[in-house]
Amino acid sequence: MSVRAMSLPRPATPLHDRPAPRRWIQIDPILLIVTLLLIGYGLVMTYSTTAETRTFTGDPMQFVIRGAIWAAVGMAAMAAIALFDYAWLGAFAPLLYVFTLGLLSVVLAIGSSSLGAQRSVNIAGLSFQFSEVAKVLMIIVLAKFFADRRASIGSPLTMLLGLALLSPAVLLVYRQPDLGTSLVFIAIFFGIAFLAGARIWQLVALAAVAAASFPLVWALLKDYQRARLSAFLDPYSDPQGAGWNIIQSLIAVGSGGATGKGLTAGTQSPLGYLPIAESDFVFSGLAEDLGFAGAVILFALYIVLLIAALRVALRAKDPFGMLVGGGVATMLLFQILVNVGMAISLMPVTGIPLPFISHGGSSLVSICFALGVLQSISMRREPEGP
Amino acid sequence: MRQESRTFVSVRRFVAFGVAIFVIFTALTARLYDLEIVRGDYYHQLSEQNRIVRLPVPAERGGIVDRNGYVLARNIPGFAISVIPVDLSRTREDELSHRLASLLDLPSDAIADIIRAQRIRNPYEPVRISKTPVPREIALVVTERAELFPGVRVDPESIRFYADGTLYAPVIGYTGPITEDELAALKDSGYLADDDLGRTGIESVYEQYLRGTYGWREIERDAAQREIKTLALQRATVGNTVSLTIDDRLQKLLDGELRKGVEEDRFTQGVGVALNPQTGEILAMVSVPAYDNNMFARGITSSELAALNADDRHPLVNKAIGDIYPAGSTFKMVTGLSALQEGTATRNTVINVTSTSFSVSGQAFFDWRAHGSLNFITGFAHSSDIYFYTLAGGSPMAPNVQGVGPEAIAKYGHMLGFGAPTGIDLPDEAAGIMPSPEWKLQNFNEEWSIGNTYHEAIGQGYVAVTPLQLLNAYASVANGGTLWKPHLLKQVTDGSGNVVYSQQPAAIRKLDISQENLRTIREGARLVVTSGHAPMPNAKLPIAGKTGTAEFGASSGRDIAGHNKLGFHNWFISFLPQADNTDPTAQIAMAIFLYDSSKSLCEFCINPAVGMTQRILEQYVGAKK
Repeated sequence: MSVRAMSLPRPATPLHDRPAPRRWIQIDPILLIVTLLLIGYGLVMTYSTTAETRTFTGDPMQFVIRGAIWAAVGMAAMAAIALFDYAWLGAFAPLLYVFTLGLLSVVLAIGSSSLGAQRSVNIAGLSFQFSEVAKVLMIIVLAKFFADRRASIGSPLTMLLGLALLSPAVLLVYRQPDLGTSLVFIAIFFGIAFLAGARIWQLVALAAVAAASFPLVWALLKDYQRARLSAFLDPYSDPQGAGWNIIQSLIAVGSGGATGKGLTAGTQSPLGYLPIAESDFVFSGLAEDLGFAGAVILFALYIVLLIAALRVALRAKDPFGMLVGGGVATMLLFQILVNVGMAISLMPVTGIPLPFISHGGSSLVSICFALGVLQSISMRREPEGP
Repeated sequence: MRQESRTFVSVRRFVAFGVAIFVIFTALTARLYDLEIVRGDYYHQLSEQNRIVRLPVPAERGGIVDRNGYVLARNIPGFAISVIPVDLSRTREDELSHRLASLLDLPSDAIADIIRAQRIRNPYEPVRISKTPVPREIALVVTERAELFPGVRVDPESIRFYADGTLYAPVIGYTGPITEDELAALKDSGYLADDDLGRTGIESVYEQYLRGTYGWREIERDAAQREIKTLALQRATVGNTVSLTIDDRLQKLLDGELRKGVEEDRFTQGVGVALNPQTGEILAMVSVPAYDNNMFARGITSSELAALNADDRHPLVNKAIGDIYPAGSTFKMVTGLSALQEGTATRNTVINVTSTSFSVSGQAFFDWRAHGSLNFITGFAHSSDIYFYTLAGGSPMAPNVQGVGPEAIAKYGHMLGFGAPTGIDLPDEAAGIMPSPEWKLQNFNEEWSIGNTYHEAIGQGYVAVTPLQLLNAYASVANGGTLWKPHLLKQVTDGSGNVVYSQQPAAIRKLDISQENLRTIREGARLVVTSGHAPMPNAKLPIAGKTGTAEFGASSGRDIAGHNKLGFHNWFISFLPQADNTDPTAQIAMAIFLYDSSKSLCEFCINPAVGMTQRILEQYVGAKK
């Protein structure tokens, strides 16, 4: 108490309601620890699904080393973001929004193709998936939008304005085409709107409109997307084609049994039966190698992470912080649900990475960035009462 | 401020969010539990089926050797040409198809089609282009000029090779690709779609020994069906070696005589069979003309096959067992034994053959000369037709002698093995015909006539035998009354040389004929040679035997080329007692049959089979001693 009394008063700025001193002691330790554990788990899984690969050539540790480097970059980004007052992010939200749309446009303009989609941009030999960063930036933009409209949150106009804000980003991502990531954007919108206190009927109506427009969406879908949806409903209608991934993923998961085949001992991913085993279908590899036990441990870590994120949100000192926290939790939960759901055939196949576990620098650094914001929120919350 | 934020954002919404987290993870966990715990074994099996495939490892086929180990059938290395489509660029597909077509003598369209089909099916898997094993020289062309043959793979495989192909083809037969129907029936025994199996002859009869036990290789394969590594291996067990009772030396002696005769056009076909009368072991079996079974082993062309089928000398038939012929005078042994055993004649039954013919019911029956007074031994030795007409059906020339009749002849004929396959270990054995009045009634709906009896008595008419049947009947006389089942299998040895099966002699039956009567025949047979009827000048061996001249034409006289119009075949059935006596000790009996030897011989000239027999046995037995 005395320390605080003696510290210099910070000047109020137009960007701040009031000075927000950072308190290292208020870092959320659980969030930090579970983050580190998940990053570690991710590296272990990258090792397990790529080290023993019997169908590729090259250094078997290349993926692990790259993953470790990205993890270090991510941790540095997390620390750097935590240092800054997240309120600045809110203040610059309009700029961030323009920046986000710019990034997504750049991808469409000069992005390199992989597997028929333009999703990444190569800079200095590294490939960046800007849409991963865009998701986090969009959380900040939408959180700021709803936080500033707490008085008119019940108005349909607010919702429509929010949608208008969201739509360009969704369309740009969809054009890449990346249906999965555009769905993540939509999920983030619903999550933040819900937590911001939007009328339930408005949200339901929006969802209903989306469902009603499904035939239209279906017509706009690419052939492979339609095939994936049909395959989800009945994988065995085309077991060698669209259903292949689903069937092989189910075999990988199921064959893991209670405790799995052991690290690197799985057969489905090293032999190429599981496509993109280190990324999109990484959960199938995890369930094969480490079994039900490994999956339950992962789920436990995720639950701790999400609850910790919600706790940070609930303890935030302002609505913006709360909604950013909720938005990050929404993004993580949705990605986990869709990626795991896809691996166990509860969801159609979409290329959404599994947080921390999928091998991929853009995804990991973006999530670390988001968790850095959460730590920033945690550090700047009101101190606990005596 | 804090108050404000709490009122702005409903804590209840955050609690609901928290509940949603738990609901979602519960659902995911429940699904995982079902997949991994409840159905884990099922999916584990699927993952193993995915990656592990068990490939058969073919076993080398066993060899076939003669009784002394001389190799008759073995495997020589050949090569299979395959293409892996993924290693062949589409632009060079046509070029390669043409090049392989000229090399393998196959249509290039067909090759291109095979490659294209495989490219769609699984481009990583090699597809076989060569239909039959490719010789080393062609394989070398492909491997040395690999740049001209992109994506082409050469794998070793075996070609069945038959030493002395034509000589042994009637016995050994050949192997050939399995048919779809056979595959369906044999799949459970481990036969594969591209397997060969014995198609005829010894190759077919002893398929079970020769084939060997296929091994397997369990490999791990990736999603593209490429082989990653071998997980487990069960080596193939090489097929067993089949040793035949045949003695290659005797086989070649027989073949030399018979082939020479056919080449010189002294007769059109020749058959020689030798066996051990004490066991039924076949020592030689030659059928000329034959075919080269190597043609089948390397894949016979349709024109080659058509030529073989068009040849009216039946080169594809083992004539020792597969065709039937009139027995001629060799059959007098049956007529004689019937009369002796039934008691209508003894060795002292004398018939005075005063002329070369007699007539019954207006039909004349001829002998080849007026022999004068004959007893059984001299009658047999000089092969008097009238003597045996009389023993069979009585005759005006000897009213005191009662004919034994066709029923008795049929009875003893069957006892001696006529009219039924001997049961030798070869496929497609003919039964021959042992006629009887009942048989004639059934087959021709006619009454038996005395003429039938007379013709039968001297091995003409309806009587039809295989050379092996005739030989085996004589062998049973030579050994003192046991009709053995002739056999070609001596023993079976495994890859380490252990004998896994040894063929023991198997009797068809003991003859219900007295030793004395059998001895009488042996005595007569020896006199055939010593009397000069079947002359063997400077004989070194006490060969006994019986000649036969089996007529198959209608008219007599000579044609414009000086050939006899009345065609006939020559027989000589011989056996060789251990000493010059009538004891049943013969270790070798031999039949030589010369088809249509009338081309160059007069009917009453010396039977060429006699000289052949003397030369062959003297060389064979002489060198053996």
